[in-house]
Order: sequence, then structure tokens, then C-alpha cells
Amino acid sequence: MARLRLTGRGMWITALIVPPLAFVALFIVYPIISAFAYAFYDWQGLLRGDFVWFDNFHKVLFVEPYASWTRNAFTHNIMVFFALMVLQNGVGFLLAYALWRELPGARFHRIAVFLPVVLSTIIVGYLWKLFLHPLFGVVNQSARAIGLPWLAQPWLGQDSTALWALIFANAWHMVGFPTLVFLAGMQRIPTEILDAVRMETQSEWVKIRKIVWPLVAPSATVVFVLLFVGAFNWFELPYIMAGLDGSPYGSTDVLGLYFYRTAFGNVSSGQQDFGLGSALAVLIFVFIAAVASVITVRLRAREIQV
Amino acid sequence: MARLVLRGVKKRFKTTDVLHGIDLEIGDREFVVFVGPSGCGKSTLLRLIAGLDPITEGEFFLNEQRMNDVAPSKRGIAMVFQSYALYPHMDVYENMAFGARLMGLDKTEVEARIAEASRMLRLDELLKRKPRELSGGQRQRVAIGRALVRKPEVFLLDEPLSNLDAALRSDVRLEIARLHRSIGGTMIYVTHDQVEAMTLADRIVVMNLGRIEQVGSPRELYETPANTFVATFIGSPKMALIDVIRQGDRVGIADGGSIGLSNMPDAGDRLKIGLRPDALTISPDMDSEGFSASVVYTEYLGDNAYAYARLADGTLISVRTPPTSSMNRMRPCGCRSSSQRHISFPPKMVGD
Repeated sequence: MARLRLTGRGMWITALIVPPLAFVALFIVYPIISAFAYAFYDWQGLLRGDFVWFDNFHKVLFVEPYASWTRNAFTHNIMVFFALMVLQNGVGFLLAYALWRELPGARFHRIAVFLPVVLSTIIVGYLWKLFLHPLFGVVNQSARAIGLPWLAQPWLGQDSTALWALIFANAWHMVGFPTLVFLAGMQRIPTEILDAVRMETQSEWVKIRKIVWPLVAPSATVVFVLLFVGAFNWFELPYIMAGLDGSPYGSTDVLGLYFYRTAFGNVSSGQQDFGLGSALAVLIFVFIAAVASVITVRLRAREIQV
Repeated sequence: MARLVLRGVKKRFKTTDVLHGIDLEIGDREFVVFVGPSGCGKSTLLRLIAGLDPITEGEFFLNEQRMNDVAPSKRGIAMVFQSYALYPHMDVYENMAFGARLMGLDKTEVEARIAEASRMLRLDELLKRKPRELSGGQRQRVAIGRALVRKPEVFLLDEPLSNLDAALRSDVRLEIARLHRSIGGTMIYVTHDQVEAMTLADRIVVMNLGRIEQVGSPRELYETPANTFVATFIGSPKMALIDVIRQGDRVGIADGGSIGLSNMPDAGDRLKIGLRPDALTISPDMDSEGFSASVVYTEYLGDNAYAYARLADGTLISVRTPPTSSMNRMRPCGCRSSSQRHISFPPKMVGD
């Protein structure tokens, strides 16, 4: 019978595995499970009330005003996801292709593109808040200086542009990540395959669409799934740049902000409701887990064909 | 018709000269093999012809047309790569159809060409398979098929057999020879293996250090090599080169005996002679005739055997022996000329 003896190798393995496992259990698994539990109770502040079955879920999904807040935030998350899919992953792919083809200045740009990624979101948020300041921000100042005054807008202050400004700042911050992943994928394509394509066509478009794109499928899976998770968990950047209310008028409200506001209250209202907040958190978690799994399985199947 | 002409073709990578002026003409339907040791520039030359790398200096014509600045896909040339370079995400059919479609052929023509190629290369059963589901030999055939369906004027093959195991290699070699006879295109084949070169080529181009050493039929290269490099590169085991002193119609090594050779050229007293393994015999008994030698190693090959022996001046020679003979190692022996076949190299023919 095999027994784990706490000597030598076994002891080392145990000593190395137990602390991180305990950490994950305490700070990740336990909160998730307790959030699941909290979502089924009625809460009065920090005081747990009755077990109310699915009341909290019902409220956030179907009872006004929660239902329209949820819908509003969820719609914005979807917009963010699709916009970043183009501005972050799409642009990232093109940047990677340009870097990979060693266009002039590729060395410099390889670093320049990735540099913002290492900055903290807090810094990027405040930086872009300053850049976009309606009066002395560098964006509006330069727009006026180069004779395009219509570009000088209060970007973060009007509901038609605020969300787009956030999306842009996020794309600027993170575009280096998909670029790097795609670049790594492209560099793994054997040079003889690229030579073989050159013997058959000189069209860059055919090369990208028929050879490079299918062959970087594993990279695409990674960046798509991570972007999906990131877009529906989006919190830091809107929190810093637009505030907890998703100002102006909820035009930048997303699920992350909405959940936080509901569960922990807000500077202006101070109301907090763990029950509704937990219900929202559970819904977000289930939604992300389910859709991300489906995307992963689908995209993996595409890879296996390779 | 496909006639290739290279004039003064040079290739430089940054500051390194890889090819120092190649002049070569290749005729229609010819099977030409570029052969040489690694780093001699044979693959580079092939890539210049394909258009995958730009020519630094000199000109390349295909059918009287200057090709220097023509894109690889527009040259009417197809290439089979060493690693086969099949598109891993496409099945065999798609691999072959991809290039044909890009040529603007209509659907029925593409299908007809693929059907023809797959019949010729016995790929019918494999059309729906992905490259990773194929064996090395099958991948090789698909790579050739992909080149075939484009009906190019020139086929380039870059060490196509080097990834196959020995047993398969001679099969595929025969297949390539057969293919060349039946489709009749011009083929340029790169290898470092002189056996492949000898068996396949109409003409062999022997290259060394970025230069052409000699161009000729396999027989010309074997019998009348232009210099010592070609002489030792062609033929296996390689020709022994011996520095000798000539006295009349005898050549000798200092304190190492001598052999009689007729038809010696009148080229001074000190010269280098080349003797192939079949030009010598070796026997355990020492007498006044022959070089004295000691056997260092023997190889038994079934139909043949070779003895490697060191002469008095330290030169290592190889001698073909009957497979039944048993030569003991480290025993002194005598080495005689069995035929009068030898090549003498005056100093100007001594290459590096």
C-alpha cells in the first residue's frame, strides 16, 4: 500500500503545495462560496435576515429600477467587449504582423507597444483623465493647435463619448498584450512554410487570411477568452476615470461598478445590500464562466483542425 | 521550354560573401544536381533561382527573360522544401489546390490537375488527411504533388530525401527519377549526398566555398575530375591522394616503396596522384613491389569490403578487397596497383 510518508520528497511537496492551496481556499474559494450563500438571504446592513430563496436574483433581473440598471450596465459590457475585440485584439494582430514582418523601426516599436501594459491601471486611468481634461488636457489642446477644434470635446463629460473614451484608454493600455501573444504565435510558424506560400502568391492579404491567421489560432483563443473575461469584469478603469456611478448619468456604468455600488454602497447614497450585491456577483460569475467555457471549447476545436 | 542562364551571380549577406560569381546554363528538361559540402552555397543558389532571396549582383534569365526582380510566384518555378513545408491546417487536397487556385485556374482544371497528380503519386487514399496524419514518405509525395499541380517550367528540390530513413530514401529517389522522365520538366536538385547526385543527375554541379568547382555528367566527374576537391568529393570511399616522387614509370614514397604506373603525364618529378579504392589491391605479403602499409580498419559490406591502410608517409588510403578476404588490423602489408587507373594532379589542379 502506498502511503505518503512525510519525509524527504513528500515533505517538500507538501510544504510547497499547502500554503498556496490554503491561500487560494481562504481568499478565493471561500468568498465565492459565501457569496453564493449570501445571495439567498435578506440582509439588513451587516445583519443576516431570512432565507429568501431566489428573491434577490428575481429583483436584480426583473424588478425596477434594478432591472433597467442591470440591463444598462450589461449592454455597456457587451459594447466594451466588441469594441475592444476590434480596437485591442484586432489592432494587436495588425501590430504583431507589422512587427513580425520587421518593418522599419520594429525593434523600437516592439518595446513601445508593450510598455503601457506594465503600467498599473491606476496610473493609466489618472493619466488619461488628465489627457482628456476638457480645458488643459493634451488631447483637446493639440486638437485646437492643429486646427481641428471640433475634436476638442469634453470626452469624459458627455454621455455620447464617455464610454468610448474609456474603451480607447483601455485599448491604449492593453493593446501590447494581444500583440505580444500574436507575435509569439507568428514567430512559431516555420520559415519554410512562409517560403512555400511566397512561391505561390505575393498577396499579403492571402498570406494573412489563409496561412497566418489559421496558424495563430492558439494565440487567438488565449486573447479572445482573456478579453471576454476582462470585458465583463471591467472595473478599475471606469472606477478611476468615471467614478462609482458610471457618470455621466450612468453612461459608463458597467456590471463591475454596479455590483460594487449595490453591495457596498456609494458615497452619495450609502445604501448597501449584500443580498442584491451577491446575487449580481453570482450572476456575473456564472455568465462569465459559462460563456468563457463555450468560447474556449469552440476555439479549441478550431485549433485541433490545425 | 525552360532554359536557365546565370551570369556572374553573387550573393552577399551583410558583409559575408556566400556566392562569388556563378556562371551556369541549364537546358530544357535537364536534371541538374547541385552538390557540395554544407555551407558551399548550393541551397543559397537554389533560393536565388526561386526568388526567395534577392540576387546581390549578376543576372538570372529564364527563357531569355531577366528574372532578378520577378516575384517568386510569377517565375513559373515550383519548389519542394527539405521539411516539405505542407500547410498544417489544410488537408492533402487543399494543400495541392491552394497554389493552383491562386494561379487563377478554374475549378474543373484544378480538380483535373489534382486527380492527375494524385494518381501519379498514389495519393488518392490520402486526399482528406491532414499533413500530421501522414508518414514522412507520404508528406514528401504531397509536397511533390503540390509542385506538380502548378505545372511549373522548373522544379526546385532542396534536399528532399534528407528527412527520410535510409530504406525509403532509395525508393523515393527512384520515384523522382521516374517522375522526371514522365513529366519532363527541368529539375534542379540540391543535395550533399554524392550518391543521390550520381544516380539522379544528367549533369552535376559540384560546389565548394561559394564557387562552382566542376560541371559535368556523373561519369565525367568520376573519371576526369577537374581538381582534387571534385576527385575526393565524388566516389565513396573517397579517392586517396598520395604525394609521390616519380622515377621513370614508377612512383614512390620516401622509404615507403613504389608502384609502377604507365601513361604518366610529363609534369615534373613531384606530383600528387589519386587512386580510387578499386585501383589498388592489398595483400599481407611484403615484397619489393608496392607501397608498404598497415591496415588500420576494415569495413565489411556484404558484396564488398574495404580496408583502410596507412602508408609510410601517413596518408590514409582505402582499398576495395574481396568480401571473403580477412585482413588483420595493424599488420604490415603491401599495396599494389591492380589496374593502371589513376589520376595525377599537377599542382594547379590541387584545390583546397
